[in-house]
Amino acid sequence: MNSPHASGLPSTRRDFLGRSAKGIGLLAFSGFAPAFLVRSTLGAPAPETDRRILVVIQLAGGNDGLNTLVPFEDANYYRLRPTLALPKDKVLRVGDTHGLHPACTGLHRLLQDGKLAVVQNVGYPNPNRSHFRSTEIWETASASDDFAPTGWVGRFLDHACAGQPADSHDPLAIHLTGTGVPQSFMGEKPHAVFGLGGGLGNRRETDENRRLLEAMTGEAPADPSGNASFLSQTLMDTLVTEKKVQRVIADYRPANPYPASTFAASLRSIAALIAARLPTRVYYATLSGFDTHSGQGPAHANLLTQLSAGLAAFQKDLEALRLSDQVLTMTFSEFGRRPSENESRGTDHGTAAPLFVMGANVKAGLHGSAPKLDLQRNQDLTFSTDFRQVYATALTNWLQCPPTDVIPGKFVPLNFV
Amino acid sequence: MNPSLAPRDAWTPLPATEWNAAAARHLLRRTGWSARPADVDRAVTEGFAATLARLFPEVVPAWSKPRLVSRYESIAPEMQRNAAKGPTEDRLRAQRELQDRARVGLQELSLRWLEYAARPDTAAIAKWVLFLSDVYVISAEKVRNPAVVHRHFEILTEHGFGPAPALAKAVSRSPAMVIYLDLAQSQLKAPNENFARELFELFVLGEGNYTEADIKEAARAFTGYRVRPEGGFRFDDRQHDKSVKTVFGASGPFSGDDVVDLAFRQPAAAVYLPRELAKTYLCETPLPADHLAALGDGWRADDLDLRALQRRFFGSRLFFAPEYRGNLIKSPLQFLLGLVQDWSLDVAPLPRLTLTPLRQMGQIPFQPPNVRGWVGGRQWINSATLAARRQLAEMLFTPLDENSLNADELLDLVAARANGPVHFTVPDAAFARFRALAPGDAVAALAADLLPGPVAPAAVSQLSQYVAAGGADPAQRLRRLRRAAVTLTQSPACQLC
Repeated sequence: MNSPHASGLPSTRRDFLGRSAKGIGLLAFSGFAPAFLVRSTLGAPAPETDRRILVVIQLAGGNDGLNTLVPFEDANYYRLRPTLALPKDKVLRVGDTHGLHPACTGLHRLLQDGKLAVVQNVGYPNPNRSHFRSTEIWETASASDDFAPTGWVGRFLDHACAGQPADSHDPLAIHLTGTGVPQSFMGEKPHAVFGLGGGLGNRRETDENRRLLEAMTGEAPADPSGNASFLSQTLMDTLVTEKKVQRVIADYRPANPYPASTFAASLRSIAALIAARLPTRVYYATLSGFDTHSGQGPAHANLLTQLSAGLAAFQKDLEALRLSDQVLTMTFSEFGRRPSENESRGTDHGTAAPLFVMGANVKAGLHGSAPKLDLQRNQDLTFSTDFRQVYATALTNWLQCPPTDVIPGKFVPLNFV
Repeated sequence: MNPSLAPRDAWTPLPATEWNAAAARHLLRRTGWSARPADVDRAVTEGFAATLARLFPEVVPAWSKPRLVSRYESIAPEMQRNAAKGPTEDRLRAQRELQDRARVGLQELSLRWLEYAARPDTAAIAKWVLFLSDVYVISAEKVRNPAVVHRHFEILTEHGFGPAPALAKAVSRSPAMVIYLDLAQSQLKAPNENFARELFELFVLGEGNYTEADIKEAARAFTGYRVRPEGGFRFDDRQHDKSVKTVFGASGPFSGDDVVDLAFRQPAAAVYLPRELAKTYLCETPLPADHLAALGDGWRADDLDLRALQRRFFGSRLFFAPEYRGNLIKSPLQFLLGLVQDWSLDVAPLPRLTLTPLRQMGQIPFQPPNVRGWVGGRQWINSATLAARRQLAEMLFTPLDENSLNADELLDLVAARANGPVHFTVPDAAFARFRALAPGDAVAALAADLLPGPVAPAAVSQLSQYVAAGGADPAQRLRRLRRAAVTLTQSPACQLC
């Protein structure tokens, strides 16, 4: 292969090793780097140019739905929220009865431009109020009394990648959680799933770590069982991918600036990878801190600012790349919060909440029905749309996968996309 | 890979002259999770026989029942009654509460098991019982009752060091097993074959050593096994088939216990468990038939006693043969518990820091994927699980950010700290020994502690250069030593034991 590596990137594992590990144990490795590496370095087109991508945004901690989509005409809202309620004249109106939190200016603009859907009052029967368990329920798309070992994205990959070679190293799903593989990604079969340090804050440490690990991995000790070289090879494959991915991100120059938040940096990275035509179908990023038990006002405003400004920048960037019609972005949170505020000007764990779906192809506006607020003190919301209907919609109308292959039970899709 | 020893030499005892630090490290890592320098010194000093006797003591300490599990057990019968009567809404609420408590109990059970397994004095026992539980498989996912899961492990611990037939009989009465393999549903008029099949195929004999007719007849012998509402075993005589059965050519009005005895009299029984044992503790590819036969003959002569099998196997020359050193891929539990022991950490009582990484690495305690148990070996390793191992290493070497914990987690943390200082992540003090050394020596010492085999000089020099490049500044040195430890932990060599 004499074609110049235009990007200066290694195209094969051997090439990679030759450059990085000073020749240690090179010949122990054979085979090629992930296909997308070779493709992109050789300038060959990706096989699918119209593939559809789903970006999942986790709002970790339990986002307060009532102060995200505010029912400003409902006296009950003001009764339940004596200090936390947002005044009618401050909310960003979406119709006659509801408005977005004042911090959501970017999302509001997207809604007006027809690129944002808000699915109201999403939850599930017999809600669980433990962060751990409820996150598990959302990620596995199971009933609250059911324990599924696999996640809904993983099962989608099981379905979508049936028949593909199992040893493909193309990352089919990439997460930027910083806390390890989300349970959503767990499939029946192992998939090439890839993670990037969440904040990407400490670049130096990550780079150092990879460089040192490369040196350790170049070693191929005498090994009668073959396990040591198997491990080295598997690790080397992931390091090659990681290096490429980091380079793609470092070299990315978006047409428009992103806000200076860690969350926005995650979205910027996702845009970089989508722009690089990775074959990845699902991306997953996290914004955490929504567990607002006390002093919710400023904290929640700050989080929604990050969410709104980050998503708006991301969508604008995708448009500049002319890729916005290939990407659907969807938020979720493990639960909403209690309608009654607590004694610490915060809210405790609750049940249903709205979620956002963003993209050039969405049917903009409000979907589903708003929660009923004629509640006693500390009573919870009753959901009206099951989160698995939302998943079923994304699967069938966007990813073109029969939802019954992924979501146990029968859930009627919505029409937000 | 062929063993370097012939079948008749393979299982002869390791000569005392071959007991040294390297052999001790191998034994400690294989029977437990780690080989800390002090434990290696002690094993060498005490000698091989004494060490083996200490790892598997005559009196096996029990694994006590966690508080929330006892609580579940005490209230479950009443909640089950409530879940079965009254208005629909009340019934559903009771069912939900029961499930919720079962889930919380299981979480507690998992965390307490990790703590028990990490204790140096019970590590080898816990691992042995884990091995038996990977033969006599149940899953909490189906059983959904933490008390009977605990009882199952209690049974494996009580009987896991005695005669194998007695273990199998006890397991057939383990409520978790009665539920898991559907004995509870087996009727006199319609025997369920699930348990009988797995008894022969996966517990005692292996495929090809029984007929479908043997299974059908044996299933009739196991009728009448039931579970009481509070979770104990009950034998329902009216549902038991007392008529004549023909199993392995013998006929009689056999009970379940009789069938277990008949199965263990089959020649295949003497090699089945030894084969599983070698797969777990020696190498992932099955040993040659002649080697297994030689081990099986010895075990048969020992009346299929499990403690005798332990002594013969772990005491053998083959167990210490060079081809079986550092060749096994660590299970996720071995990786986690090894790190916990290596760095004298406490198991964090926070699911997110323990159970979540285990799930990401592919092994949830008490929840094997199916009745075959965990496949193990290279199946543990793919890009996602390797990433999860790297993540765990980073996490254990990074101070816990308490601001990132949610309210429930903080409560658990406070409770854990009530009994004195705890270390869920590696403290600076753990590096004191290495900080005193020159960079090259420090890296070599870290590698010797953490890795099962010798490290290539090039890798050591690379890491040494990195540590040295930080200069003499103590904070820099510490940071770089931490980074070196993380890298060694993430390296391919550290995935082996």
